[in-house]
Amino acid sequence: MRFVLHLLATVAVALAVGFGLSWFALTDGRLFGAFQFGPWASWPQAGSHTPDPYTRAHLARDGRLQLGQSEGLQFTATADSQGQPLTRNCRYRLTGRTPVASFWTLVAVDAEGVNIARPDAEAALNSARISRQPDGTLLVYIGKTLSPQNWLEITGEGPFALSLTLYDTAVFGGLGPSVDAMPAIEREACL
Amino acid sequence: MIRTLLYLLAGVLLGGIIHIAVILALPTFASRDIWTKITALNAENRIEILPEVPPGAPNPFGLDPELVYAVCQLNISEAPAEVSGVLPDGFWSLSVVNPAGVVVYSTTNRDGIGQNLDLGIFNPTQTRLLAEQELDVADGLLIVESRDDEVFIAVRLHPPYPAMRGRYRDALAGLTCGNIQ
Repeated sequence: MRFVLHLLATVAVALAVGFGLSWFALTDGRLFGAFQFGPWASWPQAGSHTPDPYTRAHLARDGRLQLGQSEGLQFTATADSQGQPLTRNCRYRLTGRTPVASFWTLVAVDAEGVNIARPDAEAALNSARISRQPDGTLLVYIGKTLSPQNWLEITGEGPFALSLTLYDTAVFGGLGPSVDAMPAIEREACL
Repeated sequence: MIRTLLYLLAGVLLGGIIHIAVILALPTFASRDIWTKITALNAENRIEILPEVPPGAPNPFGLDPELVYAVCQLNISEAPAEVSGVLPDGFWSLSVVNPAGVVVYSTTNRDGIGQNLDLGIFNPTQTRLLAEQELDVADGLLIVESRDDEVFIAVRLHPPYPAMRGRYRDALAGLTCGNIQ
């Protein structure tokens, strides 16, 4: 009887560790294939012609069109710079600089990747069409409440994620401001 | 007590093996991967413009609403393939993707190509024939070698202003894509 209990415990631990670790690695990825800077995470090998096994599994599970390494790189944030999950009841302020790129776009999405911008507003913010601070830095507001300057207006309730896609970027090329120039996400007032 | 701990340790080790097996096997068993989705478009040897994704609509390809996209699926087992055309002024990029969803080659208009896209996709045998001058191709064709006979290409084009999306989409639809005869 004791042997059977031991065996059951072994199998339970093996299944929990095996599948739990796999789920964690491919959902979050920060300990495995993904690159993390502040609230922003990216899979730098997703556009490589020789991705590591974790990135390969991520590609198969993700099922989205990936950017090749020379095309660009996508960063995703699900939390603000203080580590609190992004929620649509709050207004957020994006400040700072972005790594060198021909242009970038910023999109707010839900857990299924659906764009949550207000239907008759801008679907995304484009670096070519935003106003900048006098010192060239960024000031973007994301939220449901009326905001000045660059405002990505979102709808709905619940958590969301921000997707920052840098096109034609030298982010891992070692030239110019690198990935340590990612913008900060600061939480403002909540409804 | 020690025996119980040993059993639990064995469970953790077995879990590690399951984890490695899951990570390595996942690409083989995935059914919602990008290759399956592209195959469903029936875009073999022709350019297919991916539909616009308005806010609130499902976005299975993960498209950026600021860009317009074209895809074309190719089989180069019998003959090499070519993608060519002229694209409007503005950023564009191209990637060649294999059935595993791995980008085997990518480039942008900033790499000195300009507005003219003329790309040939060859398998290793065809590249060797090309080097031996057994194959005749047009001058200026950018040669990409693919180890996989089946690939798809994805072209991204960035219209500077939303009002230009229609014209840029028409320009993408004007690309030609197919096997070299």
